[in-house]
Amino acid sequence: MNKRTVSPVGKSVARIDAPAKVTGEAAYVFDMNLSGQLVGKMLRSPHPHAKILKVDTSRAEQLEGVRAVITAADTPKVKFGSNEYFFPYTVDQLPLEDEKVRYIGDEVAAVAAVDEETAERALSLIDVSYEILPAVFDAVEAMKPGAPRIHAAMNNIGVMMPVRFGDADKALKESDYVREDVFVLPSAAHCALEPHVSVGQYERTTRRITLWTSTQAPFKVREALAKTLKMEQADIRVIKLNVGGGFGGKLEMLPMDFAACLLSRKAGGLPVKIACAREEEFSFTRRKHPMIYKLKSGVKKDGTLMGITGEVIADGGAYCSYGPTVVAAAIMRIFMVYRIQHIKLMGFRVYTNNPVSGAIRGFGGVQSGFAVESHMDLLARGIGMDPIEFRLKNATDPDIVTVNKLVISSNGLKECIQRAADVSAWKEKFGKRREARDGVARGIGVGIAADVMGSKMYKAHESAGTIIKVEEDGSVYVFTGAADTGQGSDTALAQIAAHELGVAYERIRLKAADTEITPFDTGSFASRVTFISGNATKNAAGDVKRQILEVVARELKLESEALDIRDEQVLRRSDNSPVISFDKAIQLCYSFNYGHLLIGRGYYNPKTTPIDFRTGEGNVSGSYGFEAQVAEVEVDTRTGQVKVLKMWDVHDIGYPINPQSVHGQIEGSIMMGIGYTLFEDLRFQEGRVMNPSFSKYRIPRSVDKVEIESIFVETNDPQGPFGAKGMGEASLLPTAAAIANAIHDAVGVRIRELPITPEKVLKAMRERDGKLTMKNEQ
Amino acid sequence: MKKIALTVNGKLRHLEVPDSELLVETLRERLGLRGTKPSCLEGECGACTVLYNGGNVLSCLILTADADGASIVTIEGLSADGSLDPLQQSFVDAGAVQCGFCTPGMVLASRALLAGNPAPTDEEIARGLDGNLCRCTGYVKIIEAVRLAAERTRRE
Repeated sequence: MNKRTVSPVGKSVARIDAPAKVTGEAAYVFDMNLSGQLVGKMLRSPHPHAKILKVDTSRAEQLEGVRAVITAADTPKVKFGSNEYFFPYTVDQLPLEDEKVRYIGDEVAAVAAVDEETAERALSLIDVSYEILPAVFDAVEAMKPGAPRIHAAMNNIGVMMPVRFGDADKALKESDYVREDVFVLPSAAHCALEPHVSVGQYERTTRRITLWTSTQAPFKVREALAKTLKMEQADIRVIKLNVGGGFGGKLEMLPMDFAACLLSRKAGGLPVKIACAREEEFSFTRRKHPMIYKLKSGVKKDGTLMGITGEVIADGGAYCSYGPTVVAAAIMRIFMVYRIQHIKLMGFRVYTNNPVSGAIRGFGGVQSGFAVESHMDLLARGIGMDPIEFRLKNATDPDIVTVNKLVISSNGLKECIQRAADVSAWKEKFGKRREARDGVARGIGVGIAADVMGSKMYKAHESAGTIIKVEEDGSVYVFTGAADTGQGSDTALAQIAAHELGVAYERIRLKAADTEITPFDTGSFASRVTFISGNATKNAAGDVKRQILEVVARELKLESEALDIRDEQVLRRSDNSPVISFDKAIQLCYSFNYGHLLIGRGYYNPKTTPIDFRTGEGNVSGSYGFEAQVAEVEVDTRTGQVKVLKMWDVHDIGYPINPQSVHGQIEGSIMMGIGYTLFEDLRFQEGRVMNPSFSKYRIPRSVDKVEIESIFVETNDPQGPFGAKGMGEASLLPTAAAIANAIHDAVGVRIRELPITPEKVLKAMRERDGKLTMKNEQ
Repeated sequence: MKKIALTVNGKLRHLEVPDSELLVETLRERLGLRGTKPSCLEGECGACTVLYNGGNVLSCLILTADADGASIVTIEGLSADGSLDPLQQSFVDAGAVQCGFCTPGMVLASRALLAGNPAPTDEEIARGLDGNLCRCTGYVKIIEAVRLAAERTRRE
């Protein structure tokens, strides 16, 4: 070992996977090419809503080079979903549809062939007779009586969920100022650069299946595969390699995962690889929920937030996916951010014949962040109060239990707000109607946010486990079920393991996310991995350290409690005096007298309480993270063009395990947020995605980069490993509102619909000018 | 089918390829160089960037049959013995790598950029990498990495 980084927690060590990634050596499922590997393809519905009358695969099966064709008839016809723990009635999708298709892209059959061309031809030879049904594409229309019924239920409202505390109507009556706003949020695509891709392989002798898949949640995929294939979980092995981005789009089993396994079984065990082309990725995977977010709230003259009422209608598309919890998150995040006693919100997730809405980074919080933070700004303006003061007055505090029973311990929200105002020179800038140059106005705006670090989705618990073995040569192997999809969690876990065990970061070899080898982990979502898997890893490292110290203590006739390991040395806690080196201690463990194989174990299940989805009561997460963001923008009053000059992000991250990685998450979130704010808009016509390519669906490019100042507030969370909190999503939540609020400050118009295009800004300015002229004329 | 000769990462290769084969397919499927990532196959994402006679090109937009006589460098060609070249090291040090799927293309596009402009401003780096998409980093640390590599090269 050349380099030795001791006590690595808190240091920006190089990522454990970076060298392999910069040399192109890093393996992704996308790159797999097993011996005999077949190409799999999905046959998708061309209709948004139709009955399947007949599927005839005989011509495809006879085609030279075709090895397997499957339809619903080959499957056990078991439905899958992603919120089965809390919402069992939302398990509504078949891996291959049997009677009906419900969106353009719904999977009907799949083929495996020797090459791409043959697979494509085979698809064209499958004859499906459809009876076209009336379809509905608008969520509000779909809620009306008489709308085409998409599932067997009485209506298309897949999930209806209230949040209700206190007496919100009375609180609004007692308010000095009440206003109502409606916000409109479009859909968006994840755009991970590695598309969805899976390789399934059936083993005939054991009747077991291995699936390599680009996933954020291998254990979730295993569970769904076992269920839908009617197999034992023990007979299915799911392996994650490097994952080229997920952003919520790779959180569940998709029909292609199922098909890769079943096709391999039907093809006698030859491996089958199915990869989404970019167009399929945009059109047929999962997408962000479009939402209409209505809010009506009241405040006192002194800025006290009295009550909030409102309604959220989410276009869920054809199936539920993670939708119920997305809608829950969209109406419940507000409790983490604002001290509120009187609230009445209703969330509706509505089936339509559009593609399936599901999880995407921010998980409903991008939509609610834009709506709530724009609304709060308007409330502050309505009573002539500075938006920073308004938020400081109403933000949550540390060590509180909220009205819906969230247990918030560490909370740096107010400090985040204050520091964001200070570093951005808010006081000198806000409300000053600054003209940067001829026809270009400058403005500043703020948004605040909070987020969970973990949330139960599909199981009763959300435990993660870690096993650590220390070999005779002193090498340390960490086995974790956690799924790094690029965010850097493997590195954070390696740092945590090394630090807690008292050894150098470079000693760690990490093996992750193989359901047959590593302990269980629910997956990479809800900003949970550092917090939950991090605690599991810290516990495992503590366990193996205890074992080493017991051997040393026995040998040297000391008390093991009096010893510790730090910086590769066993030392006395009392005076830090060295006892023996870590390497010597390991040799001792493996010596004639002891033969103590070193295997540590740890797990962590955060302290939460069940959520009552009739009211919104329950403590969803083990801890909570907070942040404030300030945007400064320039608006060209002649073109409506908005340029973001700078973003300040002040974030209560607890403690940064790897500061560079933490900044990287924040910068990436903000740029993603800027994309959603200014141009990203997945558009649909009659259920068809109209812009399924990077040329038509623009994501932020290097030339769009804005200056970002990212500042940490360290609250050292009592639950977090080394005080750390989850933080992978929160910086995405307030960005759109911060920018919209800054535009309001610059040119005095309010944009309530994303994306904020130049056309919308110009139109709003013209309307404002029209009103002014009319007033003058009167 | 067409017989061609290509220099790939310094080695001369004689190949017989179908007229319709894309350079990215030749590199990945025929030569096993899987660091080159075709993420969109439409010339929109930059992940399949390679160096073609020194300049950066998208290997999904080039027919191998048309590349007769060309010299190609892929990501695997930058560090023959496994040690990182200064640009790769800068990507590691600056924290410019997250999911890594855009990284090979990003590194090669940066290499071409620095060859033409050894001391670029941040604006020039951003413009030079405009054809390479990254969904993870927000480009902040990628631009830092290129700046760092340029500074290190100048100091040497």
